[in-house]
Amino acid sequence: MANVIGASLKRKEDPRLLTGNGRFSDDIQLPGMLHAVILRSPHAHAKIKKIHAEEALKSQGVVAVYTGKDLEGKIGPVPSSWLVPDANLKEAPQYPLAIDYVRYVGDGVALIIAEDRYVARDALDLIEVEYEVLPAVVHQKEAMQEGVPLVHGDIENNIALHWKAGEVADEIINDAEVVVRESFYVQRVFPSPLETRAAIGQYDAGSGELTLWCTSQNPHIHRMVLSDVLGISEAKLRVIAPDMGGGFGGKIGVYPDEALVGYAARDLKRPVKWIEQRSEHFTASNAGRDEIIDVELAGKRDGTLLAIRVKNTANLGAYLSTMGPGVATIDFGLMITGAYDIPHASCETFGVYTNTTPTDAYRGAGKPEATYQIERIIDLYAREIGMDPIELRRKNFVRKEAFPYTNAQGLLYDSGDYEKPLEKALETLNYEELRQKQRELSKQGKLIGIGFSTYVELCGFGPSEVAGAIGFQGGVWENSTVRVHPSGKVTVYCGTSPHGQGHATTFGQVVAEKLGIPMDDIELVFSDTKSISMGWGTYGSRSTAVGGAAVSIAADRVVEKAKKIAAHELEASEEDIVFENGKFQVKGVPGQQRTFQEIAKSANMAWNLPEGMEPSLEAQSFFKPENFVYPFGTHAAVVEIDKDTGEIELKRYVCVDDVGRVINPLTAEGQVHGGIAQGVGQALWEGAVYSKDGQLLSGTLMDYALPKARFFPRIESAFTETPSPVNPLGAKGVGETGTTASIAAVMNAVMDALKPYNVKDIEMPLTSEKVWRAIQDGEGN
Amino acid sequence: MNIESSYTFKGVSQELLWKTLQDKESLRRSLPGCKSFEEIAPHTYKSELGINIGPVKGVFTGDVRQVDIKEPESYRLLVIGKGKPGEIDAKADMVLEETEAGTTLICRAEVKVTGVLAAAGQRVMSGVAKVILGQFFKDIEKETKEMAKL
Amino acid sequence: MAIEDREVTVVVNGQERSAAVEPRKLLVHYLRDDLGLTGTHIGCDTSQCGACSIMVNGEAVKSCTMLAVQAEGSEITTVEGLGSIEHLHPMQQSFWEEHGLQCGYCTPGVIMAMLGLLKENPNPSEEEIREGMEGVICRCTGYQFIVSAVQKAAKLMAEAEEQKEETLVANLVREGTHNG
Repeated sequence: MANVIGASLKRKEDPRLLTGNGRFSDDIQLPGMLHAVILRSPHAHAKIKKIHAEEALKSQGVVAVYTGKDLEGKIGPVPSSWLVPDANLKEAPQYPLAIDYVRYVGDGVALIIAEDRYVARDALDLIEVEYEVLPAVVHQKEAMQEGVPLVHGDIENNIALHWKAGEVADEIINDAEVVVRESFYVQRVFPSPLETRAAIGQYDAGSGELTLWCTSQNPHIHRMVLSDVLGISEAKLRVIAPDMGGGFGGKIGVYPDEALVGYAARDLKRPVKWIEQRSEHFTASNAGRDEIIDVELAGKRDGTLLAIRVKNTANLGAYLSTMGPGVATIDFGLMITGAYDIPHASCETFGVYTNTTPTDAYRGAGKPEATYQIERIIDLYAREIGMDPIELRRKNFVRKEAFPYTNAQGLLYDSGDYEKPLEKALETLNYEELRQKQRELSKQGKLIGIGFSTYVELCGFGPSEVAGAIGFQGGVWENSTVRVHPSGKVTVYCGTSPHGQGHATTFGQVVAEKLGIPMDDIELVFSDTKSISMGWGTYGSRSTAVGGAAVSIAADRVVEKAKKIAAHELEASEEDIVFENGKFQVKGVPGQQRTFQEIAKSANMAWNLPEGMEPSLEAQSFFKPENFVYPFGTHAAVVEIDKDTGEIELKRYVCVDDVGRVINPLTAEGQVHGGIAQGVGQALWEGAVYSKDGQLLSGTLMDYALPKARFFPRIESAFTETPSPVNPLGAKGVGETGTTASIAAVMNAVMDALKPYNVKDIEMPLTSEKVWRAIQDGEGN
Repeated sequence: MNIESSYTFKGVSQELLWKTLQDKESLRRSLPGCKSFEEIAPHTYKSELGINIGPVKGVFTGDVRQVDIKEPESYRLLVIGKGKPGEIDAKADMVLEETEAGTTLICRAEVKVTGVLAAAGQRVMSGVAKVILGQFFKDIEKETKEMAKL
Repeated sequence: MAIEDREVTVVVNGQERSAAVEPRKLLVHYLRDDLGLTGTHIGCDTSQCGACSIMVNGEAVKSCTMLAVQAEGSEITTVEGLGSIEHLHPMQQSFWEEHGLQCGYCTPGVIMAMLGLLKENPNPSEEEIREGMEGVICRCTGYQFIVSAVQKAAKLMAEAEEQKEETLVANLVREGTHNG
């Protein structure tokens, strides 16, 4: 099939999901299956004096209770996978169950296994834990001060890491005509996939194989880490990620809970299922962001930007999560100049331990924060020098001719044309007219705001050498095998692990186009370490750019071999064979042809192959990209604020994204919409609230405001296409662009609306009360 | 979380109110949802209370201790409670002020909670606590009448 | 357990089914664990997300807000009772065509809630659809393509209804001619 790449095809994965035929973790029922629950600490910081489990053990239907002490020496700590170098990184071991101390509300204390999920939950109440409650520390800047409680007794000032990149001489800032300074808090939020986490373990005593179904965005990373934690050969540990109800970064992490389930299944020799409760999820699953970002932007009065100096103080929670250390350092600190040609840049990051749930990568991971600070500060700079924010952006954009462009922090932007999406967005908005309307309405006392975010994002993780250099404990290349069966039907094995992105469709489109076969002839296999030799999973908008590229190369290799067979059968030279629409044709000789299916049969039967050729038609690719990819674009928000109540209404949302070559415009747009909803959620509604003593007050869906349908206008979305030279598809990444761009766009719109009151910042989320107060305290009131 | 509530017992003397508030039986009858209440040491009680705060329901077992006793004006209550929904750690200053109308009892409490109580109950708790306290004051008022008969 | 199990019988997706369950068992657990109807999902524990929405006696209900014993004798439709992979219900078909789902976890509940909405309001405006989704949460789609899907479903279902009527009228006419 030709022209499949670029077509808005309906998704292959949908009919089963639409009819209740999906197979999510909790849908898995195994004979003799037990149910696990985890007793979690109600205190942010306490010493465990004694655990009384006798009552629970006596309860009918309770099979086992494990405590941290029971597991000591039997199951190792769960390590972080991002050991950022040159940062004096101090990793405190996180044991699957707390042994002597609990360090956050939600820290696991005991594992209960019972015959029934209700019985297991009842048993939670029968375990009594004697705690000696200790003072807790919640706020990262407080945690660094002298004399505050230490989360881990031996880690001074609670500093987990101190990292620096780039250098900006004091003179540059001191001598600059204009310096704009602001401190931004990118608050703690919860990724909140609609399906919570889950794990199911099944041990086969005969083979010694442990199968672990778990909600993982990266089953091979889970296998690698857990085989070590559980002391089991990677060859005997099979990790399967079943259908998953979203992830958004929250399911990257290798969690203690998964290790516990695997351990219990092996220990009890019975299948064990653990399903996280939603309110448990809020404290037991990694949160996102929680970074205090102090920015200084220096330049000339004519709008020429010269230097940016940033300090990020990041709350890492009580332990280092799987990717936690890399978020506020590498992901954030190397992208602080955004889409602008700013010659000098520096970032200093402190990663701090506190008595809170660990933080990890959340949709965008560091890039939304980097975009937020540069896009916010550039608006304030424009305000300072009295320039239109669009003009200031244009003046400092990395020029189209400059690509590939090395930013001040040393990253090489692959390709770009930043004016193009900006122009398109302004046109859609009808910008000049809109500004005119804003002025008119302002005379009537109405507060209208227009905000922009002209972002660039680092994604497509990535080049293995770079991963090594930045301390990431993984190879992050990708793997795909295209296997052609005798009938010409195809199975494609992929190392990425989709959970809503629709790779079966987009990767299927790549294969359909390359092999010239119908979509229905292609089956895709993901997320099972037993059938896929290796892979690094789905996060950081890497799947299409790295995994899709591997699929594309493997398919090319299949065609290459098939061509040789066709040439042999048609008694023509290979150069004379043209492959089009699924047919191998001798150039200029109509009728002299073989179909793809015919060659598939020939290859598999091997009755008559070219001399020396091995049978079968199958190819594998291990694709290691030479660089990251850098999607970009312009997002614009229009808001109206009710002066009397502080309520914000999002009136319009326009976005033009350039994510390189688009494989499926429909699913790509879906990704953009979803990303925007999460970014707007962060700006306007979502936020974790901890009490001073470390109790999570926003710990249920009654208290944590996830965006609802009625909060949004129709998003006006479009793409421009600037291919990436980094991979054969020319694709970049689309999963995180919406989130990366939208937080700043909405905030800038609100600040624009509040310009008459000279409001420069309000801490997110922008609840009506905060906005109302800002108006009351603002100039002229 | 801080909770403040007061109630005026009309025509009740400071002394009578004090006596009622120190009487184990009166307290047992007045504490909302009280399932047991026993004195385990002077001014120290062990009790079991059924509490129902919005989405949070459960039986709390707790220790109640009176300290800084200044008869008949004030005392401080230290409450440590434990139940399925979480733990409560409260310090309450109870002040008895004699006025023309009678005696006003002022309760100023600093309450810390954990678990589901913190996560789910927080929003409604100060309101509900006031309701519970109000009920307690009314029941104590009845008790003062009984006490006066003695 | 101290309290004895109770036999609960319902008609689910046109079939009579029963199982003995604890009186405290939630309807959603009964459907999933006892009847094996795992198309209905659980997304929260405070009845906010709506992933477990089903039809009980023709009304959209969050099945985590009911006990199984309360459903005794009722008629239930879950996502499994709508269409099949081969023959999708117009609502399912519209979700497919308009890309109204990504991870698919909220989808069965959203579909049920939206069928409930269309029952009350067969031709809702965009705003009414968005308002009608108040009881459900989707974390993937940003809702826009769900709105498009519901709009399309409303159209398809109205057309199907019209066709049904036309056929009915045609049949009546034919019968009339025949009888006459």
